[in-house]
Amino acid sequence: MAHVPQWVRDLTPSGPQGSEILAQERDGSAVNVDQLKTFLFGQEALQRKQKVLKVLQSEKVFEKSQDYFEGRTDKFERALARAKKLRQLTVKHGWNETEQRSANDLISEPLPYGLHEGMYLKTLRDQGTPEQHEKYLKFAEAYQHIGCYAQTELGHGSNVRGLETTATWNSDDKTFTIHSPHLTASKWWIGSLGKMANHASVMAQLIIDGKSYGPHPFVVQIRDLKTHELLPNINAGDIGPKFGYNTMDNGFLLFNHVKVPHIAMLAKFSAVDPKTNRYLKPSSPTLVYGTLTWVRSTIVLQSGSVLARGVTIATRYLAVRRQFQDRDAPEWQLGENQTLNYTMVQIRLLPLLATCFALHFTGKGMMALYEANQKKMSQRSSKEQQELRGAGPEETQSGSDLLADLHGTSCGLKSLCSQTAAEGLEACRRAMGGHGYSAFSGVGHWFLDYVPTCTWEGDNYMLTQQVARYLLKSARSVLKGNEPNNDTTEILSHYLKRQDVGAAFDILGKDEDLVAAFAWRSAYFIFEALRQRDELKQSWNSLLVQFYKLSRAHSQYLVVKNFYETLQSPSISSELDQETLTLMHKLFRLYALHTLESESSEFFTSSACTVSQIRLARTKAVMQLLEEIRPHAIRLVDSWDFPDFQLNSSLGRYDGKVYEDMFYRASELNPLNRITVDPYPENATLFKKDESRQLKGKL
Amino acid sequence: MSQPDFSANLKPHPQANGAATLAKERQQSSFDTNAISKHLFGDAYLERQARILKIVTAEKVFSKTNQANLSRPDRYKLGLARGKRLRQLMNEHNWNDDDFLMAEWLVDDVLPHHLNISLFKSAILEQCNEEQRAYWYPKLQAWEIIGAYAQTELGHGSNVRGLEATATWDHQTKEFVLHSPTLTASKWWNGTLGRTATHCVFVAQLRIPKRAGSEEFHSYGPHPFIMRVRDERTHKPMEGIIVGDIGPKYGYAPMDNAYMLLNQYRVPHDALLSRYATVNRETGEYVKPKNTGAMYGQLTRGRSQIVMNARLVLARAVTVAVRYLSIRRQFRDQDASDQFALEEQVLNYSTVQIRVLPLLASAFALHYSGAAMQELYERTRGADAQKESALNGLQELHFTSAGLKSLTTEMAADGIETCRRAMGGHGFGGGTGLIQLNNDYLSKPTVEGDNWMITQQVARYLLKKVKDLSTASRSTTASRLDASLARFREHSKSPPQLSGLSDARSILEAFEWRTAFLAFEAYESREVKKLPWNSLLVEFRNLSRAHTQAMLVVYFYEGLRGLDALPSSTKAVLWDLFRLFSLSTIEKDAWQFQRSGAVATKTLDQLPKEVLALMQRIRPHAVRVVDSFALPDYLLNSDLGRSDGKVYESLFHRAHVENPLNRITFNPRYWEDELVMGSKDGGQILSKL
Ligand SMILES: Cc1cc2nc3c(=O)[nH]c(=O)nc-3n(C[C@H](O)[C@H](O)[C@H](O)COP(=O)(O)OP(=O)(O)OC[C@H]3O[C@@H](n4cnc5c(N)ncnc54)[C@H](O)[C@@H]3O)c2cc1C
Ligand SMILES: Cc1cc2nc3c(=O)[nH]c(=O)nc-3n(C[C@H](O)[C@H](O)[C@H](O)COP(=O)(O)OP(=O)(O)OC[C@H]3O[C@@H](n4cnc5c(N)ncnc54)[C@H](O)[C@@H]3O)c2cc1C
Repeated sequence: MAHVPQWVRDLTPSGPQGSEILAQERDGSAVNVDQLKTFLFGQEALQRKQKVLKVLQSEKVFEKSQDYFEGRTDKFERALARAKKLRQLTVKHGWNETEQRSANDLISEPLPYGLHEGMYLKTLRDQGTPEQHEKYLKFAEAYQHIGCYAQTELGHGSNVRGLETTATWNSDDKTFTIHSPHLTASKWWIGSLGKMANHASVMAQLIIDGKSYGPHPFVVQIRDLKTHELLPNINAGDIGPKFGYNTMDNGFLLFNHVKVPHIAMLAKFSAVDPKTNRYLKPSSPTLVYGTLTWVRSTIVLQSGSVLARGVTIATRYLAVRRQFQDRDAPEWQLGENQTLNYTMVQIRLLPLLATCFALHFTGKGMMALYEANQKKMSQRSSKEQQELRGAGPEETQSGSDLLADLHGTSCGLKSLCSQTAAEGLEACRRAMGGHGYSAFSGVGHWFLDYVPTCTWEGDNYMLTQQVARYLLKSARSVLKGNEPNNDTTEILSHYLKRQDVGAAFDILGKDEDLVAAFAWRSAYFIFEALRQRDELKQSWNSLLVQFYKLSRAHSQYLVVKNFYETLQSPSISSELDQETLTLMHKLFRLYALHTLESESSEFFTSSACTVSQIRLARTKAVMQLLEEIRPHAIRLVDSWDFPDFQLNSSLGRYDGKVYEDMFYRASELNPLNRITVDPYPENATLFKKDESRQLKGKL
Repeated sequence: MSQPDFSANLKPHPQANGAATLAKERQQSSFDTNAISKHLFGDAYLERQARILKIVTAEKVFSKTNQANLSRPDRYKLGLARGKRLRQLMNEHNWNDDDFLMAEWLVDDVLPHHLNISLFKSAILEQCNEEQRAYWYPKLQAWEIIGAYAQTELGHGSNVRGLEATATWDHQTKEFVLHSPTLTASKWWNGTLGRTATHCVFVAQLRIPKRAGSEEFHSYGPHPFIMRVRDERTHKPMEGIIVGDIGPKYGYAPMDNAYMLLNQYRVPHDALLSRYATVNRETGEYVKPKNTGAMYGQLTRGRSQIVMNARLVLARAVTVAVRYLSIRRQFRDQDASDQFALEEQVLNYSTVQIRVLPLLASAFALHYSGAAMQELYERTRGADAQKESALNGLQELHFTSAGLKSLTTEMAADGIETCRRAMGGHGFGGGTGLIQLNNDYLSKPTVEGDNWMITQQVARYLLKKVKDLSTASRSTTASRLDASLARFREHSKSPPQLSGLSDARSILEAFEWRTAFLAFEAYESREVKKLPWNSLLVEFRNLSRAHTQAMLVVYFYEGLRGLDALPSSTKAVLWDLFRLFSLSTIEKDAWQFQRSGAVATKTLDQLPKEVLALMQRIRPHAVRVVDSFALPDYLLNSDLGRSDGKVYESLFHRAHVENPLNRITFNPRYWEDELVMGSKDGGQILSKL
């Protein structure tokens, strides 16, 4: 539809224009958006974003208008062009890591260098010796080596100890032989491997003299540095189209007796002594818990913004979208009702809006704890440090360790927050009715790219077993009479003291009681699970569902607590004006009461609340809060500060020109294993060889 | 790939032998798969499935191998080729409509021609007067014309009365002038119309000038008009029409959903489909619709089809999940003493079971509900038609079927995603066979009545029922719903407080009690306290949900009660599924059951254990139960859900061996192979992509 006749160009949407509606909405609320924005993200981050945004917007390759139309191959090719350009800009402007991350957020699609930057470099840095840094890291930092992190296999993901790829030590020539004995040993899902990487950090079972020592990391070159063709006895490629993440070349990788030198085994923690052919034990086997905790805390922190993106789009659109007259509206009142005014729409959307804040504050809280802990640890003597780190959460004594607490709770929060964000995005999409199903809503593809977060870094269901294990351990310690020394043991011992007296929390009247009710419910279910496991000797497997619920209950408590504490912080009244602060309290209550209401039977069973409290929470308090928050909804989502560039959404536009943009995109914008790519950022060439057309022909 | 391919000789690890695992699973259960297939689908259906399957799998254009890689325009093109070929096959094999629909279901791609055989066709059948039907119906059946249904606009979907397109009677010329006055009046979302259709039913506000030539009008609300959209020969849009495809969506890639604007487009007098209402050609007077009550049946039938489809969709997701998760092994059991034991089948973990097995049970609940709806519809058409009870039943079903549409499409949509996620990493990959299913099916909660919005219809009906109960005397034709409301009113002080979990009838009673409790509560809020409608929407949805769940439980129960001929071990599994469905539903809404006094608190505390026990009992039969859904591998198109269990081989093969639209005018005529109008491409998408 190239030619658009004048009579079409002359048409405008009927009724009040979207831009007028949003302007009115913004007039109707006194929330100080700039202040709230700064409170959420800090001045520095906001300025950084604007600076980076300006650079990106001046580059044609980041223009997104064609993104939604492309097939897999074109998508990937475009993503590659973007990745290269981003790398060039990073070098040119001397961007640091936070600036790069900001750029990634704004581009907001997985880019093909993702795993090189996120995992390969990190693995080399964290697990390599100085010689290995010289041999590998130097080249990787210059993007001459492009790497990936190859752990998961076709047959094993969650169970890393079950990996099948072997690395057998050859004492005669001091090499390792990397080999895939079965088809299920094929590396699988590995990001940046399919088309991009010329190196891989491969997790393989170390075998010395017929004895296995468990999975260890090896650096293996897989493609020729000039031709980018696979090296002999290596078979690798892209695993094909996925639910989302289609701009990433997740790959498979098989080895046929490939020899690598002794230096290929990353040896900071454990190694093979080439002289004695003996295995050198890791000095600090659980150092990784620190990293994992950091990664999971990041997921928690991001989950707020991830969800806020969907909530921003849905809130703006549903304010503009008008449908039906209110059934009780007086005769004289013409015009249709904004769909955002229907309580049926509000109950899906506004609690999610409150959730965005809750998750964000929780993530910030986790990060602060993590950093405080890192600082403390680095101040202690290295000996002490080793003792502390030496034990994983399963082995720690009596939950005395802050890191163990942080690790345990970060697993539960990762599970809860990523799930909440993913499901919340889909709820936003569905709340938008028909137009929510259009790619131009901007929510669908965002959900699809985000949802694997529920699976990676620990499957959300699996992780809850670790949480339960940690909580049970803490409960045992409290039962033994040990002094509480972290928040978890404190709520447990508080519960023990009070369990015969009862709770009697004023959940509707006092915010601190609301938090206490969440703590009570969590403690009740922890002791209940402990009884089942220790007294009734129930099998582990029969308790998994209970563990899952337990982890969820405890994590919800943590979110409520973090939100509450954020609002209690001494500095807050200088950062937010009274009106905005009052509104934040309402959002806190909405999150907490709505959660309580959705889990009402647990609150009831644990006697954290009475039946009539729950009923009042539902029919009175929540409904009232919806009404009170509704007028501020647009300004509240504005404060999440998403540039239109990032949203790439017709429905979520800041200016409310929903219909014009839908129509414009529809009428005027509407138009990988056979490819050898050139992955180096300084070269303009994208594909060295493109035979995809031929493949396409053989449908 | 010049080097020798060493991967060709690799086999999965011995413990990952899917074929052996499935064989063992099938051997350990005596669930009578064949008998249940017949029971669920009937011989005719299964025969049809086998017959059509053979035909479509023999044609290259229906191969699904590479479609997930294609760009949007290429997906459209492929869909077009498929639509044409299917219609050709219909002629070659003398297929009836059911055969064609079976083929479409198996090919599992929405056809760009689809609206011609769905909404357009039913509009022609339902809205035309006899003359109109005689003219149009044969043309659409022969695909001489391809029709679409243009109701929804950019600005309005749910609120049909708010449509902006106008149809103004011009008495002088005896024509209607169809027009789009604003941008938001643009038709939007209308399938088949974007590129494919030649005609459409256009829904517009009928206006008749108050006097000849007057600019003041009487408005009569939305009415259907049939109109030509594109030129027969060139397939270009007619003068005064702007039409195109609205672009990519979450799913539905091959479908050309449309936007369309009309600029004073004239159609003749008989373009107004006038079975119900018409405009007198001579006087220009509006002739009111005759009794429109006759529509109950159609709507109920349509909704029963949605429920039956939701059943199959759920069955499909669960089939893939159960097969894959029984083959997938991960970790040794924590409590296992033997360190050389095989890793555990992940389907044995209770956190996996709790996500998948209740969905398996749900598929049966949906089956019996859909079947009961169909039966009721048939009964009112057959000999019993005149019986008041049947008509009453149909009327009730008409009002409450909105709740079934809402709940069952949501169960299926959420169920696909739950199964997909339960499968871990591979669930995210192209080999699940659930990706396109998810993408396509997720339109269902919105289309044909937004799932949240339409629950108001059910609530309205239940409010009226409660009201009738308090005013009118007992009717002799009381439905089950009437009876349960009356029971509640009489015994509201002594709730059932269900204490055992084994008696199926008391489970039904608990469900019905909850509905009645919520219905009376809503009645109190609206009719007594006069609270605003808007403040009660959330309660209304809960009420609709509760009532619909009660219907599902009742239909499930009655469906099983009628089973005689089956082996008792097989029946026992079905009853366990019934109990798993009911109890896990209660557990999710425990609070409502508790609050209403339907179930005793003590009983609620026992539920989790009982649900676990039921899952343990069902687990050994899971593979055989999903086998009974008889879904062909070709339909599933899933490496993970293959009936032969060769999961890993097939995933690897897919990865290793087997990877733009409005500027083009397409040729939609099935008898011509050409796809791009005037290109003489002879149907060769395969060479030019
Ligand atoms: C888009 C994407 C990108 C990825 N990128 C990478 C990468 O770059 N590098 C890399 O190495 N990996 C990568 N992965 C792999 C990812 O880390 C794994 O998929 C993830 O760890 C889950 O493992 P799995 O697939 O084996 O799931 P499985 O363990 O097979 O899970 C299947 C089901 O079994 C359940 N289950 C398993 N074990 C238990 C148990 N003990 N108790 C109870 N339930 C259990 C799970 O809850 C789940 O429901 C990626 C995955 C995806 C989807
Ligand atoms: C894939 C697809 C195919 C389609 N095919 C066709 C077709 O062939 N022909 C055609 O004419 N149309 C078609 N449609 C349009 C479809 O029928 C509408 O999208 C659908 O009816 C929903 O209407 P809407 O989009 O206006 O939603 P809206 O009404 O805008 O809904 C937005 C939100 O507001 C809420 N809401 C609206 N009104 C109320 C109320 N009174 N009370 C409480 N809440 C309310 C809804 O619950 C929803 O959450 C198609 C749509 C899709 C997605």
